[in-house]
Amino acid sequence: MKFLPFVWRQLVRNKLRTALTAGAIGLAVALVCLLLTMPAGMNALLADVASNTRIVVHNEAGLVYPLPYAYLQKIRSQPGVVAAASWTWFGGAFREEKGVEFPNFAVEPDPLGVVWEDWNMDPQALADFRRYRDAAIVGRGTLLKNDWKIGDTVTLKGTIWPVDLRFRIVGEIPSERAPHFWFQREYLDQALRAAGLGGLDFMGTAWVRVDDPARVGPVMRDIDAMFRNSEAITASETEKSYFANFFSMLEGFVTIILIVTGLVALCIVFIAANTASMAVRERIGEIAVLKALGFSRRLIFGTLLAEAVLLAGVGGLLGALFSLVITRVIHAQAEGWSPALGPLGSFIVTETILVQGLFLALFVGMLSGVVPAFGAARRSVAATLREVF
Amino acid sequence: MIDVRDVSRVYHRGADEVHALEHVSLFIERGRFVALMGPSGSGKSTLLNLIAGLDRPSGGVVEVAGQRLGDLGEDELARFRARHVGFVFQFFNLIPVLDARGNVELPLLLTKLGRAERRARADTALRVVGLAERADHKPSELSGGEQQRVAIARAIVTDPEIVVADEPTGDLDAKNAVEILALLRDLAREFGKTVVMVTHDPRGEAFVDEIHHLDKGVLRDTVAGGAGGGGA
Repeated sequence: MKFLPFVWRQLVRNKLRTALTAGAIGLAVALVCLLLTMPAGMNALLADVASNTRIVVHNEAGLVYPLPYAYLQKIRSQPGVVAAASWTWFGGAFREEKGVEFPNFAVEPDPLGVVWEDWNMDPQALADFRRYRDAAIVGRGTLLKNDWKIGDTVTLKGTIWPVDLRFRIVGEIPSERAPHFWFQREYLDQALRAAGLGGLDFMGTAWVRVDDPARVGPVMRDIDAMFRNSEAITASETEKSYFANFFSMLEGFVTIILIVTGLVALCIVFIAANTASMAVRERIGEIAVLKALGFSRRLIFGTLLAEAVLLAGVGGLLGALFSLVITRVIHAQAEGWSPALGPLGSFIVTETILVQGLFLALFVGMLSGVVPAFGAARRSVAATLREVF
Repeated sequence: MIDVRDVSRVYHRGADEVHALEHVSLFIERGRFVALMGPSGSGKSTLLNLIAGLDRPSGGVVEVAGQRLGDLGEDELARFRARHVGFVFQFFNLIPVLDARGNVELPLLLTKLGRAERRARADTALRVVGLAERADHKPSELSGGEQQRVAIARAIVTDPEIVVADEPTGDLDAKNAVEILALLRDLAREFGKTVVMVTHDPRGEAFVDEIHHLDKGVLRDTVAGGAGGGGA
């Protein structure tokens, strides 16, 4: 510890270089800390979004393949099923040039309040949705994004079918993270018939409310068993698993980002090593003098390594604290979700991640300092004095 | 005190062998102020490095303060230097980020002394060289003569038996050179240090007890200096 002031003085002798190197290390550590929040953040997001009694049934071949609409009635008749509703993708664009900006589905109006009971939709809005053929219920996120309000009339241009549908907004899904745009299935069915395209005899997915969380597994097995030998085999999964599948694509992206981050961290090691090498090269004469005074090789190695570790440690600590503060601020602002910040509020730098970031910084410091420190420590003092002076 | 017996030092430069010292023998008593003189490449700095424990001989024996330095490993040599030898260099070689007191205190970091005791000893050493009031100044704020005084304070702060000085007046003006020579002489006379100095400076002859002339790695002669009474 008595060498710490000496090490610190050496570290701050070139303040600009020290600050820039610490900044580079800090930035890399902050980046790594932020990325480390993603797996836990996504889990938290899923747990928040998904119900434990809601399941989704889709074609085993994939989400883009439809299911016969007749399946819905059979699903509703299964023991344990409280209610079921279908989603059929319309793919309507509000601004044609921007394409589909929010998911819009044709649904049955009657079971909505039961299947999505936990979404606390206004009973009056649900009643109006049932009453008006052209009614739409829209997620608050999409309402805010488009500056719509209840009572507005909007037209969506079909991007799959050649029909444009005009809607009156009668209610909202009271969650800012809800992007949905729901309208009556019958409305789309009639529009397609009027256009000579035949009616809707299929659905995209079926959403099912089960009476007991403990029965979710058996109900899923029963539904899939029922259609095992049918024209379209079903695959049932919990809502959490369904969203997780979407996120899994994102996880692949996260993996790529983590690999890139690893490479960035490696670059930072090289930058820090270069800084350490420059610092040692500049002071090779001083180091020889210290050796002449009796500083052992081990001590020279230790003080130089401590310098590199201290620099990386300070930079890393600042970076980790920066990531902690920024995620806490976003969390406080967004309260988990906001239209402007999306799901960012769910990603929190925990104490564990903070410690991981700090250890990464110390590791970078050790890795970057060990070679120059070793080289300086093993140089012959007499030869160096002869060379330098 | 310092016993150099039949010492040779050979360097390898590529395929060539450079004989920096050849069969040099020399004895220096405790408390003497001794100059090693000679032209460039005569081997005087090599001999100084061997006496100071910075280098090992290729042949012969170097015995200083009762220790045969050729037998010591790197770490043992470092400990030997820390305990027994103080260094003064031509270009002062102070650490620029430390003030005068910090520089003088540096060798004491290798001891078990506490912070207060280290500071007190550094201040005492600075008083001995007449720089007590400049203790808080960085090397860049000191003149060449003052920097060399700080270097001397650093050399004596651990109370070593031997002080080695490599061209201590080489980078100083005449006035400061004389003051530094007088200070080194006082270290020998008043504090009983054995001071070994490599120098080209003819003014040094008047201050030392004995002068050893080297040429081409060989000890040519030993004569009494202006301060000494004997010679060989």
